[in-house]
Amino acid sequence: MTFANIGSHGGDGLDEYAGDVWFGKLDARAKLVGIFTFVVISAVLTNMELVLISLTVALALLVASRLPLTHIAKMYMAAVPFILFASVSVFLFSGWERGIEMWMRTSACVLPLLVLAAGTETFDLFAGLRRLRVPAVITTLLMLTQRYILLLSEELSRMTTARRARGFKGARNLTDRYGLKVLAFTAGMVLVRSFQRADDIYEGLKCKGFDKEMTPWRRSSIAINDVLLATGLAAVAAVLLTVQLGVIA
Amino acid sequence: MHIPDGLMAPVVSLIGWIEFLVVFAAILLLSGKKIKEKNLPRVAILSAGIFVAQMLNFPIGGGTTGHLVGGALFAMICGPAIAIIGMTVVLLVQGLMFGDGGITALGLNAINMAIIAPLIGWGVYSLLNGLSAKKTVPGKAVKGIIVGAAAWASVFVAAAACAGELAVSYAVSSGTFGIAATVAVPAMLGVHAIIGVGEALISAGVMLYLWSVSPGSITTIDKRAKALPGWKGVLSGTTARAVTAILIVFALTLPLYFLYASQGRDGLEKTMQDAGTAGEKPLISTPFSYGQNYFSALFAGILGFLAVALGAAGILRLARMRTTRETGP
Amino acid sequence: MKPLEIVDVGFAYEDGTVALRNLSLSIGSGEKVAVIGPNGAGKSTLLHLIAGFRTPFSGQVVIEGRKLDDSNADDLRRHVGLLFQDPDDQIFMPTVEEDVAFGPRNLGLDDIEGRVARAMKGSAVEHLAKRKPHRLSYGMKKRVAIAGILAMDPAILLLDEPTSGLDPRSRADLIRLLKGMDRTMLIATHDLEAAAEIADRAIVLNIGRLMEGTMREVVMAGDLMQDAGLELPPISKLFRVLESMGYPVDDLPASLDQAVEQLTRVMDRTGKHAHAHIHEHVHNGLEHDHEHPKATAVGHQPRDEK
Repeated sequence: MTFANIGSHGGDGLDEYAGDVWFGKLDARAKLVGIFTFVVISAVLTNMELVLISLTVALALLVASRLPLTHIAKMYMAAVPFILFASVSVFLFSGWERGIEMWMRTSACVLPLLVLAAGTETFDLFAGLRRLRVPAVITTLLMLTQRYILLLSEELSRMTTARRARGFKGARNLTDRYGLKVLAFTAGMVLVRSFQRADDIYEGLKCKGFDKEMTPWRRSSIAINDVLLATGLAAVAAVLLTVQLGVIA
Repeated sequence: MHIPDGLMAPVVSLIGWIEFLVVFAAILLLSGKKIKEKNLPRVAILSAGIFVAQMLNFPIGGGTTGHLVGGALFAMICGPAIAIIGMTVVLLVQGLMFGDGGITALGLNAINMAIIAPLIGWGVYSLLNGLSAKKTVPGKAVKGIIVGAAAWASVFVAAAACAGELAVSYAVSSGTFGIAATVAVPAMLGVHAIIGVGEALISAGVMLYLWSVSPGSITTIDKRAKALPGWKGVLSGTTARAVTAILIVFALTLPLYFLYASQGRDGLEKTMQDAGTAGEKPLISTPFSYGQNYFSALFAGILGFLAVALGAAGILRLARMRTTRETGP
Repeated sequence: MKPLEIVDVGFAYEDGTVALRNLSLSIGSGEKVAVIGPNGAGKSTLLHLIAGFRTPFSGQVVIEGRKLDDSNADDLRRHVGLLFQDPDDQIFMPTVEEDVAFGPRNLGLDDIEGRVARAMKGSAVEHLAKRKPHRLSYGMKKRVAIAGILAMDPAILLLDEPTSGLDPRSRADLIRLLKGMDRTMLIATHDLEAAAEIADRAIVLNIGRLMEGTMREVVMAGDLMQDAGLELPPISKLFRVLESMGYPVDDLPASLDQAVEQLTRVMDRTGKHAHAHIHEHVHNGLEHDHEHPKATAVGHQPRDEK
């Protein structure tokens, strides 16, 4: 699923659209706080009307972000198996209402995360996490990992092309010993190249005085748009939560 | 098996997050020395490598494809501690870059794929290596089987844990969240038993490739356990590692079991009532008693298996210690 | 105080393979020196050793008057701008300008804006400031990596095979760039033509030092070059052939510029001008006598025929 996205020509991953839309220019911290709050609360809603409201807000966010819908749809399809599985099973056991509620709730949670992922430069997301006090070990690992995912996936697509040029079309099924062997060797080669580069990269970092953190130079500051987005989403979430708790109590 | 948000019962997700944070913090503290600055690029690039390796899809029949999880592979290459950290990084990158996997569900996803999978993979790998290494140097075929078994087990147990979480969510929330055990368990275990085969084959292939091309990159090469006398020998050996791994995994499943025991039955009963009194008849009137028993049986089975495995392994180990000492110089 | 002094340096890997032996070298401020040798000669190792990445080593490495050892390696590294052979080993940030700023920021230097601007200008990548490095061509990546090093204002640049992997145009551009830079450099390369164009001096390395001298002297030592597994640049070979045909050659030029300069010098010295003509002749036994028709070279007007 992710292979199609990374390997696609002209795209360095999914945030190629991030720069084009107004949503992409917002401060990452505001987006993180706002969207996370909204998603966490949407995940616990059990009342049909509340779930419906949360889904509507999620869709509104999607539309307002101006991100290309086909792109988001593709990402959504990747999450569909689990959502479908859960919704159908709930439907079979507990009826229509609960089944649809499950679908809506999970979708209301998935969509804002897709908007966040597609609408923000990944590096900025990680830098935003750091500014939100996530430990440096984790954020530095994230930044380095992302940098090298791009590199390795290029190598992988080169290897895949080379394989295809020699007529390899992928393993046919699990009993295709030759096909699986090729896949395993490809994975192995990717890993071996990784090891070899790791020490070189460490030296490269030390040459630039690296000391545990990769903080960016240009730092975005919070503007009115950021505050509006974060507080807007948080406010909706707070209202939904209060009603939900009231329903339980 | 990346679980999205909104699927699990809130209390289950909360337990997942707490468990994950505790284990992760413990790992960071314990291997603080290892995560020196010099290792950051190594862990990052290995995480990137596993991430990219996850992109290799293999068909599992019926037109669907599965993909590598990689937890076991990670652990076999550089040990469980680094694997736990690395797999967590992979999950975070997947979630933040692609929206793959939720954030309330991150705790549970991490437990399944970043903690249980590496631990089981490493535990089984250590155990089988320990058992086989005594006789002769294992050939390629044997090594491959060991790796494959470890990888398959890692996927299967992780899927079982996921099924358990779904089932408990269902039971505890009276059917609002989660998926009933009667569906969740067979579905998850069935699909992942097959995916596990792919994982086993690819992991074995990769490890064999690494062994032949650059064995130096693997840092968990099982050294023949130095024959220390008595208990020390038992604790420092490969069996001990396996036991530790299984114990940790078992400990992780306990809270959910207790949750189920305390609230789950009520929740299931309530679902039964709702189903009976609701205007719309559900399509399936579940034999809930079957679901309950199945679930309990599953746990009992796991407990029993663990007890037997631990006992057997420990006994084997002690027996071998005795014989080596008896036949010593 | 010299930017770099190496005295009797030796280094061997853990498995015992000797990579460098009894190496001494001194580089003055503003000098550009090439380390030439075939693959495996230890050029890369030397550069990495100077950058403090290969310990322990025997001998002394003195950077701007300070002796390199384990304790100050991290500190001295900032004075030594190591350019890796693979630019992806030292490009980390999501945009070019962020990556160029990465070094100075980590080192806590002042005037980041100014440094970044100057470095990008010095490496001719200002127009790429907001671009994503991993989408750039190999040649451009190298320039970005160079900018990243320049921004830290090192006392000496250590360039590891800077022209390898570049297409002819990019290579020419890079050579011109490096030639025009007013910086002290140590360039490890097996690209003799590039070395000849950029560097004033060279040492030939094959684990130990084989010789040291100006590029010209190095190129003249034909046998040594051959033993070291190095090929003369085409222009040198051409002049070798001309020399054997009687053309007066003072030194073998190693680059086109040097060749042109030689030709002009010879012409000035003898007060003559160049002819090119083709004629037919017949050999009669041992002696032959032929007359040249008074032909003029293509495109050349003899001075006295105006």
